[in-house]
Amino acid sequence: MEMDRESGKSEQIVSQFRSKILHVILDSRVPSFHHHHQQQESFSLSRVRKTDKWFNLVLGHRPAALENLNFSLRNLLDPVIIDIILVQHGSSSSSVDNICTPSAAAAGFTETVIERWVVQYDCPRVVATPSGADTSGLYKKTYRKSIILLRSVYAQMRLLPAYRIFRQLSSLSQTYNFDLVYKVSSFCHPFTREEEHVMKEYSFVPVEALSGLLCVSVTYRTSLSDFNLEPLVSLPPKIITDYVGSPTTDPMRSFPSSEKGVRATSFPLIGVRPPSSAPLQRPHSWSSGFHRGFPFAQNQSLAGSPPAYSTSPMTYDVASPPSDMYGNRIQNPRLSTLQQVTARDEYQLSPPFSPSPSPSPPTYLSGANPLLSHHRSETAPVTIPRPITGRSSRYLSPNSSDTSRHSLPPLSPRSSKHYASSQESPSGIRSYRKIEALRAGESPSGLSNHYSVHKVVRDSKDDSGRFSGLLSSSGSPRIGFSRSSSRLSFQDDMDDCEFSCPFDVDDVDVSDSLNQTRLHSFS
Amino acid sequence: MNCEVCQLKELEVEHFEIREVLRCILHTIVFHRALGLVRPKDVDLELFEITYVQCGVVELEKKIDEKIEHFVSWVEKHPNKKSQICISFYEVKSKPPSWFSNKTERLFWEQWYVNLNVTQHPKPHSGKSHHTKVVVDPGESASEERGSRRVALEVSLREVMFQIIKFVNEKKDHVPPISEGVIYFPHEITVPSSSDSAFGMDMIKRMLQTGHPTMLS
Repeated sequence: MEMDRESGKSEQIVSQFRSKILHVILDSRVPSFHHHHQQQESFSLSRVRKTDKWFNLVLGHRPAALENLNFSLRNLLDPVIIDIILVQHGSSSSSVDNICTPSAAAAGFTETVIERWVVQYDCPRVVATPSGADTSGLYKKTYRKSIILLRSVYAQMRLLPAYRIFRQLSSLSQTYNFDLVYKVSSFCHPFTREEEHVMKEYSFVPVEALSGLLCVSVTYRTSLSDFNLEPLVSLPPKIITDYVGSPTTDPMRSFPSSEKGVRATSFPLIGVRPPSSAPLQRPHSWSSGFHRGFPFAQNQSLAGSPPAYSTSPMTYDVASPPSDMYGNRIQNPRLSTLQQVTARDEYQLSPPFSPSPSPSPPTYLSGANPLLSHHRSETAPVTIPRPITGRSSRYLSPNSSDTSRHSLPPLSPRSSKHYASSQESPSGIRSYRKIEALRAGESPSGLSNHYSVHKVVRDSKDDSGRFSGLLSSSGSPRIGFSRSSSRLSFQDDMDDCEFSCPFDVDDVDVSDSLNQTRLHSFS
Repeated sequence: MNCEVCQLKELEVEHFEIREVLRCILHTIVFHRALGLVRPKDVDLELFEITYVQCGVVELEKKIDEKIEHFVSWVEKHPNKKSQICISFYEVKSKPPSWFSNKTERLFWEQWYVNLNVTQHPKPHSGKSHHTKVVVDPGESASEERGSRRVALEVSLREVMFQIIKFVNEKKDHVPPISEGVIYFPHEITVPSSSDSAFGMDMIKRMLQTGHPTMLS
């Protein structure tokens, strides 16, 4: 019985660890993932979720795509392999053979795996049955060490080369000729010898669990200088005052192409390389399409890379299983028992975590504005670009009613062939579409806003202050000490509760958790 | 319980780089020893292309800054010297009261030594050779030298960060249990005081308290 309890808790820790590390990695590498997270956080700064309490690392909202991933990779014995892929427009300047899918190559993109994280629960075939005395409380040590391991992964992610380009992409002041997407699977394509030469592997020290070892390793490119990563040139916006139909313009006036001020190059070419085949000049005879386009100039959105999940209110499709490989499926409403248990526990927050009455900032959703959908269906050749003061809609979440996003091409055949259980970021697909749209000179995309990249603290001071203030006001044991502090009010009975975990001893229905995350029998 | 000791790689820094380097290192260490509920805060260094992580606890940030200022003051009085900042984690244990000692004692279980060699920027000279009449522009060479030094320091600082990560991963068994409501383990940060001998005595005293320290390079 004790063994079962230990085993159940151990498996729960491993399972939650896999979810958490997935969250850490994707939040630190995929811009669309990260931006959606920031958006969600604006609504709930003071709330600490149950998922945040796991491993004592508050990461914020866990998107639905992540839940789908967790469900599809629920077999603890399967490794979780997370590939961070650099998608680049045009041919890469790297001399190394890149993994280039046929469809990507046809579209003029190259894909390169620049980082590969592998999370594995290594269980030996023959497991020596430890005695009760040896295993008692082992899960507590496993949990404590897992916390440290997660801290290390979090810190290391910011030191690897890919973090810098992630930050570039996350910057809203520029658009680039590359994107970062992810692929999660339980199988992986081995690196070629050439790739191995330019990559380095680091393995974190495994954490012992009851039935095996929790192992995390990363293989990463030591340098990304081989890639021609550059911002796309943005043309300054032009405002045409004497356009056809303008009240100030003489209706009988002709508009020769050489006349100054009437330049047909005024369509928004932000982030666009002029296509070689299509002429730069546009016809002057803007019709109603222009008029219809004009009011939307301020609210223009992109066919850009939406986040890999839907932020619309959850609609549960009972019929479809969450086995989609493309991450477009919606969450299965049939929560596993484990998830139900954790969902129940979510409401048992301790008093310190009371919500603060901070107003929620308005969120601009590109797809929420019906006018945008209307705009997108028009064939307006020109819109007057206007500087937008809000956040670039590149990273804003799409409206679920926007059908254009669901008509994207499927992933490359190679992906579906080699990855039995895999999920790729839709943002990768969106990248292709976005860059293609830019090339064809279609509806404006990539409008740059005027945000500048600030090398400052990412998180607001108020947030951390409020957070710590909430904790310190709870009357719980003192937070920390230093020699300079004269306030050494430390609790002596610190050994009362040595296991800091979201679940207490009696909260988890171990038998159900065993059913949900049961290891396959060792043969 | 043995006290694990980590001697971090020595960094050669200039005066104006001290604060950033120390903040980066000390916060990284404490982040790995803040096993309570934290909301991590990413901080970008201004002088280097490095992002480190803080716990997000304002009180801790102030204490670390305070210690760094003490250290900077000491450096100003003792220029061009090698120095150490020590951050030690301990447990408070009660012991039988006696006439000569307190009821509680600190048992140090981990110590980190941050080794800095604070150098002064050499003053540029005219560079005029006795043999030629060509005057070499001192500004450009000094600037290049500073640039290469900055690059080297960034590389070294990254190595120190990786060293910290490596150490915390290799040594986990000695970490005490986490207490409810406590965000980070109690610790003290020791910087050289105005009297060098006092600093040295502090170190010896701590070493005696910890028993048989394990040196890890």
